[in-house]
Amino acid sequence: MEIIAKKTRRYTMVLTVLSVLLLLTFLLNVGLGSVKISLIQVFWEIKKMVFHQQAEQSVYRAIIGQIRLPRTLAAMISGSSLAVAGLLLQIFFRNPLVGPFVLGISSGATLAVGLILLAGVSFGLNTAIPFLIVLAAFSGSVLVMIVVLLISRKVKSVVTLLIIGLMAGYFCSSVTSFLMAFAEKEEVKGFIMWTMGSFSGFSWHKVTVLLLIALPILLATLLISKPLNALLMGESYAISMGVNIKATRLIIVLISSLLAGLVTAFAGPVSFVGLSVPHISKLCFGTADNKILIPGTALLGGIITGLCDLFARTVFAPIEVPISAVTSLLGAPIVIFLLLRRRNVL
Amino acid sequence: MSIIRTDSLAVGYGSKVVVDQVNLEALKGQIVCLLGPNGSGKTTILRTLAGFLSPLKGSILLKGQEFSGIDQRKLAKLLAVVLTDRPAPGLITVFEVAAMGRYPHTGFFGRLTTKDIKITMEALSMVNAENLAQRYFSELSDGEKQKVMIARAIVQEPELIILDEPTIHLDVKHKLEVISILKQMSQEKQITVILSLHEIDLALKSSDTVILVKDGKIMDYGCPEDVLSGEVIEKLYDIDMAHYSDQLGTIELCNQAKNLAFILGGGGSGSRLYRALNKHGYEILTGIVHQSDLDYFVAKSIGASIISEKPFEIIRKETYAAALNTLKKVDTVIDAGFVIGKSNERNLVLLVEAVRMKKSIYSLRQEKETRKLFQQLSADQYIERIIFCQDIADIVKKITLGK
Repeated sequence: MEIIAKKTRRYTMVLTVLSVLLLLTFLLNVGLGSVKISLIQVFWEIKKMVFHQQAEQSVYRAIIGQIRLPRTLAAMISGSSLAVAGLLLQIFFRNPLVGPFVLGISSGATLAVGLILLAGVSFGLNTAIPFLIVLAAFSGSVLVMIVVLLISRKVKSVVTLLIIGLMAGYFCSSVTSFLMAFAEKEEVKGFIMWTMGSFSGFSWHKVTVLLLIALPILLATLLISKPLNALLMGESYAISMGVNIKATRLIIVLISSLLAGLVTAFAGPVSFVGLSVPHISKLCFGTADNKILIPGTALLGGIITGLCDLFARTVFAPIEVPISAVTSLLGAPIVIFLLLRRRNVL
Repeated sequence: MSIIRTDSLAVGYGSKVVVDQVNLEALKGQIVCLLGPNGSGKTTILRTLAGFLSPLKGSILLKGQEFSGIDQRKLAKLLAVVLTDRPAPGLITVFEVAAMGRYPHTGFFGRLTTKDIKITMEALSMVNAENLAQRYFSELSDGEKQKVMIARAIVQEPELIILDEPTIHLDVKHKLEVISILKQMSQEKQITVILSLHEIDLALKSSDTVILVKDGKIMDYGCPEDVLSGEVIEKLYDIDMAHYSDQLGTIELCNQAKNLAFILGGGGSGSRLYRALNKHGYEILTGIVHQSDLDYFVAKSIGASIISEKPFEIIRKETYAAALNTLKKVDTVIDAGFVIGKSNERNLVLLVEAVRMKKSIYSLRQEKETRKLFQQLSADQYIERIIFCQDIADIVKKITLGK
């Protein structure tokens, strides 16, 4: 009993520290950039915005309100979504090397975007509409997800499902390669930049849509923490304890694919966050208990992606590097370092 | 009270029947053990009984209720499993693994109540693992992991636990510990246990019923003391290079030996020698051993030729003569260092005769003791001919050199 209370104290402490860090990251992201705004200033501006005070147009207000705030929110919620999606699939496949894109989600999105940017296929829609790329990417991921789900009802073993997901990914990538081979140079460059992901140019419209969909799904994930914990023992044990494995499977694939597909639709395939953050989170908390791990991973995903985006746009300013380049650059050494300190975590 | 009963059950995968006509019944608190060679279908039967596979034919009744009609959550409160796959749950403590057994009992978020925690700790102490509670599960040894998995099953508070080869990969200590935990569990908590084993001796000593599975059929079924005879075991496992002794509950290897060795044994002194020399390719002759002696059963199970005497009789002249006759055909004679008493005094005479016949004599007896014994028979001039050995390894070495 004593020890359980001690563990709970540790979890509460780490969660509190992470929440504070998330807030700090948020303020830093809004404050730093080509125009530096002090943290206090940031705080006041946001307060004014929230309470609709003083409608006058200051430069700070424009920068914060129109550019940095939506971008920061987008980066953070995307990071949380990808990290949680990765966590779910790592548990589901009982494989530490799995990320949110393992079921071909990002490849499906990439193919759909490729069709528009490279082959000029517009699906009968006006190319000028702002959400076209977003819509295309999302439908691409959802389509792949549906195919994988349909197949998953037929196969028994998760490993088979994993391989099917990988194959779906390869298939889409291959078609994308064909498109690239026949496309014009300038189009390819734009396309490649998209494939490396970016949070730049996030409008309030997009952020609102992202938040409205991602937040409820993230909260819903907490509801399946009990069967997720049972799945840690393997599928057979989970079934023997009364887990409805078919429903759980469906929910896991659905939630993780929706989260990953959503982020990909808005920001492109942001790599590595979904793979590495669950590991970092497990090591921070020293547990694989999902009741703790899901909120923890969401917080950490927000912090890390926020910081990476800050790095991406400020360090080499005015040039902005793709977000995927930064996440992998910073994430890989962290994971290796942590794993060497704690060996049997996987 | 019948906990589980099957009626002409056929188990298998898809349309392929692995074992047909499984009719078994386990009562409350009974231990039922499946024995049979690898690949005979034990696991398939167990997986079907646990509900992982659907029966191909026939029916399973769990507490009188048709198995397929029981909903999953209720089933989890009736039936728990311990499987051969070792889970690797990552950073989860032993306590948390065991507490997962509360799954069907806890609410939507799986919050543990004080009662749940108490039940979990009790189960851990029942398997002697309460001191491991705060360790990470993945850091444990195989034996410790298995105990924790049994605790997890107990925590589920089922009426039936199905275990697939729970002693596989465990050392002797943990094998025995696991079996005694299961026995204790069935007696104290009245939990019915169905398990598969490879150790015939453990099955014999732990279970109320054994089921012998071979070639897709139930070969035999019943009380282990009735069912498990040497012949049955040898047939079950297609053993021709070994003998199973039902008196001893052990398996002894046989060989096609070229060399002969006569061992003077008795009182259990010869058993280890028989095995050692048998292993090194000797055909064993032994005498004179009483028919109630441990040496007699061991010798019999390895297929040795035995010159024996009726239980508790003083060795008779005729028996002695037969032994002497046999002794003449053999070059290597070993004194196992048997205890000498009234009933087997003639064995000592036999030893002196062997020395007199200039056989190669190896002895495990102390030189001092031998000298004293030979003096009583005024045969101490022969004592130089005896090669005294410290232990069995020494004998094996010297015999091999002497050849």
